[in-house]
Amino acid sequence: MRIFPMTFKAIPLLLTLAGSLLAHTSHAQSCASLRETQGEDLVSVHCGSAPSATFDATGRLWVAFVQNKHVYVSFSDDKGGSYSTPVMVNKEAEDTEYNGENRPKIILAPQGEILLSWTTKTSSNFTGLIRFARSTDGGRTFSTPRTINDDGLNTGHRFDSLYLTESGNLYLTWIDKRDMEKSLAQEEEYPGAAIYYAVSKDFGETFSPNYRVSHNSCECCRIAMAPQGKDNVAILWRQIYNSQIRDHAIAVLGPDGQVSGVERATVDDWYIDACPHHGPSLVQADSADNYHMAWFSAGDLHKGIYYARYDLAQADSAQLLEIDATPGAGHPSLAQHDGELLLVWKGFNGLATQLQLMRSNDDGKSWSAAQTLFSTEQASDHPLLISNESGIYLSWASNELGYVFKELTHDPQ
Amino acid sequence: MTLNNPLRYCARWLNAVFLSAIALSVHADNIQDFGTQSFAQIKQQYAGKAFVLSLWSIDCAPCRVELKLLGELKKREPNFPLVVISTDPIENREEAADILDDYGLKDITSWMFADAFVERLRYSVDPTWHGELPRSYFFRADSSVESHSGVLTPEQLEGFLVEIEKTN
Repeated sequence: MRIFPMTFKAIPLLLTLAGSLLAHTSHAQSCASLRETQGEDLVSVHCGSAPSATFDATGRLWVAFVQNKHVYVSFSDDKGGSYSTPVMVNKEAEDTEYNGENRPKIILAPQGEILLSWTTKTSSNFTGLIRFARSTDGGRTFSTPRTINDDGLNTGHRFDSLYLTESGNLYLTWIDKRDMEKSLAQEEEYPGAAIYYAVSKDFGETFSPNYRVSHNSCECCRIAMAPQGKDNVAILWRQIYNSQIRDHAIAVLGPDGQVSGVERATVDDWYIDACPHHGPSLVQADSADNYHMAWFSAGDLHKGIYYARYDLAQADSAQLLEIDATPGAGHPSLAQHDGELLLVWKGFNGLATQLQLMRSNDDGKSWSAAQTLFSTEQASDHPLLISNESGIYLSWASNELGYVFKELTHDPQ
Repeated sequence: MTLNNPLRYCARWLNAVFLSAIALSVHADNIQDFGTQSFAQIKQQYAGKAFVLSLWSIDCAPCRVELKLLGELKKREPNFPLVVISTDPIENREEAADILDDYGLKDITSWMFADAFVERLRYSVDPTWHGELPRSYFFRADSSVESHSGVLTPEQLEGFLVEIEKTN
């Protein structure tokens, strides 16, 4: 607890104006402008909520988003210049979660299967289901969605994340409250929730039973995933330490339920009995079993967005760097391509949201100054970075600009 | 308006009646739009007086613990100066009203975020708040403010109550 005077800061208007000029170079269109010509019921990547994007093996861009209680999929053959008519994934409406920390996930398998997961809210009391559907005909039709959490309980199963390894193991991980329910039934305390996962070795046709990764996770932050070797994944999530501290943990998950290397990955000492709604980002570094992490904390030791490396073998983090401690800064996303590491995040200057970018050409040792990519005085989603062999791209939705998909690497192919 | 399709016209009219009925029933709660100027207005209302501000959301489990505490306090001390703001979009007001009702807070005036640009609304409350919930503030009569992230304790609330009673 602390005391501060409620004085509001001056607004750097000039920065905002400069940012708006940058924004007009985008090809994206606001939903409002599209609806003027195409009708109020238009379903489009520019009108939907909480989009995710990925590339397939041919370089086609695929986007999943939520609109009117349905998950939709649309593709683009010109890297976001134009999009196909969206195809509905779940035929029956579901209370599909769509917010910064909860969005449909989409992955294209090498043979073209389209794999999707999302969370469906089932009540006002933090309950939900982990849902999965796929297409084996190039996105013309999708399988009837099924529930992957196998406990049959009406409790929390939310904040899903999806990752496909090079060897073809599909990992689906989420935040789960089954163990909390069990403890409550025995009148025992259970701080937070748990992390669970399931694996499919046949591109989503079947899934393994659910495996537990950890007890006592934070209940409300997205989980970050990155490859570990050819078969495994490393995951980074917000964990509760000593019943009070909400810092991050890392672990390696194997295809048959093996959980190893569970360690505390960030030490910020954020003593908080609350929902930060602020999940981390994790990508593989150049050297094996080394990772780049970016996250938010308002801990006693660190306040703001931070970057650090993590070494699985040493079980230690290094190169801790404060990225942005300005109040309002949040939701970092990392991506790497061809020796270049990019970090984007959202800042807010009192009037406008500013999408910030920093670059590192030496695997995170040194970074460029922050550059403002976009500035908007309307609502916007968290920014996400995705990469393929041709570069790194920004995936970001805002009311003003619609869905923005933008190449960020220096030398686009 | 064209009248060449009376059935369609009739359907539209019924639709309008139906929608107004929904609108009326929705506004049977005590929830007001929270916009960029709302907090300045709330503070003006309480000028020179102490109050507690509690921010919560439907999606926040620890918030329910705090709402329960506040509901119990309000029941015991109906004049306790309490301002409750939900950071959910006001389109979800029915869900929020049900939850407030569960904790005996249905009858107090409360607010819900009425602008999708939540960063600006959060800033209007406190530029240094990162959005974590529950978030609360003790505003004192001398204009000093104390902020708190995470669930308030009964001791914190009782302490503030004693303080208010002394100053009044």
